[in-house]
Amino acid sequence: MSNAALQVARTGLDAQNTKMRVIANNLANVNTTGFKRDRADFATLSYQNIVTPGAPSDAQNRFASGLQLGTGVRLSGIGKIDTQGTLQNTENAFDLAIEGGGFFQVERPDGSTGYTRAGNFNLTAEGNVVTSDGLPLIPAIQVPQGATAVTIGNNGTVSASLAGQSEISELGQIELANFTNPAGLLSVGNNILTETAASGPAQVGEAGAEGRGNIRQGSLEQSNVNIVEELVNMIETQRAYEVNSKMISATDEMLQFVNQQI
Amino acid sequence: MDKIAYTSVNTMQTLMKRQTAIANNMANSNTVGFKADMVSAEAKYLNGPGHDSRALAVERDMQADMKSGSMTQTGRPLDIALEGDAMLAVQTTDGKEAYSRRGDLRIAASGAMVTGDGFPVLGESGPVTVPPSDRVDIGADGTVFVVPQGGDPTQPQEVGRLKLVSMTGSAISKGSDTLFHVADDGQLPADENARVVSGALEESNVNMTAALVDMIETSRAWETQAKLLRSAEELDESSASIMNLPQ
Repeated sequence: MSNAALQVARTGLDAQNTKMRVIANNLANVNTTGFKRDRADFATLSYQNIVTPGAPSDAQNRFASGLQLGTGVRLSGIGKIDTQGTLQNTENAFDLAIEGGGFFQVERPDGSTGYTRAGNFNLTAEGNVVTSDGLPLIPAIQVPQGATAVTIGNNGTVSASLAGQSEISELGQIELANFTNPAGLLSVGNNILTETAASGPAQVGEAGAEGRGNIRQGSLEQSNVNIVEELVNMIETQRAYEVNSKMISATDEMLQFVNQQI
Repeated sequence: MDKIAYTSVNTMQTLMKRQTAIANNMANSNTVGFKADMVSAEAKYLNGPGHDSRALAVERDMQADMKSGSMTQTGRPLDIALEGDAMLAVQTTDGKEAYSRRGDLRIAASGAMVTGDGFPVLGESGPVTVPPSDRVDIGADGTVFVVPQGGDPTQPQEVGRLKLVSMTGSAISKGSDTLFHVADDGQLPADENARVVSGALEESNVNMTAALVDMIETSRAWETQAKLLRSAEELDESSASIMNLPQ
């Protein structure tokens, strides 16, 4: 036997449970470089029409309001909140933060392009600039052996003084990618996002131009998770979960009572 | 035999519907801009010969509780909370105009501005679309400003104005698509003085304490009806036993 009140309360439990998971993930990533927090968005499930408003009640009159029973709640989406994280000064030459919009491009193991805000780059033994997971930056930047004073300008120009040369040489240019709808990017883990139909195509170019942010060398962008806000959300979600489970037990008791009485 | 059992069963069906409506309010206690449903029953008299004891409770009417939910600060530029009795005009899936208090707007892949549950937001002349831009802001009167890609951040451009309407004095009801409609595809009058607060959201207006009390009340009413059903059975049994001839 299916009971509507039980099923409706169950949708509430499911939705609150998923919201809790989103909050847990935000809290777990409170110290992840370049992490953007998620927000669970709820939407009401469609209503079941029992009496349509405006339907005739007799020959002259019509029902002024209808009777529709709600069927619960669903998760309509999990949106990324794209606010800027705080910049933390690290003094490390390959720690890069983006101030403003845009993403670093990296080459994923399958050859596709991934996008990230986490700018904690390193050098490989060959001198290539890679992420902490070893994914190379696009376009590839190679720092020759013996290079000193590697400088990365606000627009992404990488330069260094090479051994035996008095002039400063330019090693390459870091390009950023920007999207019409950055919230539509797909998170694939390891701080990497990928392009989707919702995000629109990447608009690649020099940092600091056409809406792309400036690159700050020697800084890292912190996670934009606000612990206090997440804790308040957590309490709220917990209470909503409790009230929905109370509804399940109340409805259960009602049915139990009938079974015992009759 | 008295038909008391039917009166009880009818009331129990009504109570279970009421419990479902309360469950739906509770499930939506965290849904942005949700308006709680209020169910009322009316008495339907079945007149006939004998004593007029047959009044059935029929769930007839459901209205949304239109009072404002609390506002929460989010800081996201595309989140708006509507002040007073203002409502946001949106387009339904069949192209008609309906109204919502949901203000968690976002830009879809097509550039259309949609609400959190995916309905396109209407401007003064059709759905609002936003060109690729660096920043989108919504002013207090619902004007949408964008900084175009590569544009000067100090010179935002106006791309349209949200259609804000006033619900005062008009009969609106919640449709099965969760939006508010005017009967016969009517429209609410645009309100020039409507104001929105950017960077805030209106939370669900479900009062949890009241919902819990209603829930308990409904459960107890249900139990009373079940007891009545049991009494009807006992009455029937005893009247049948009177008729038994002594053995």
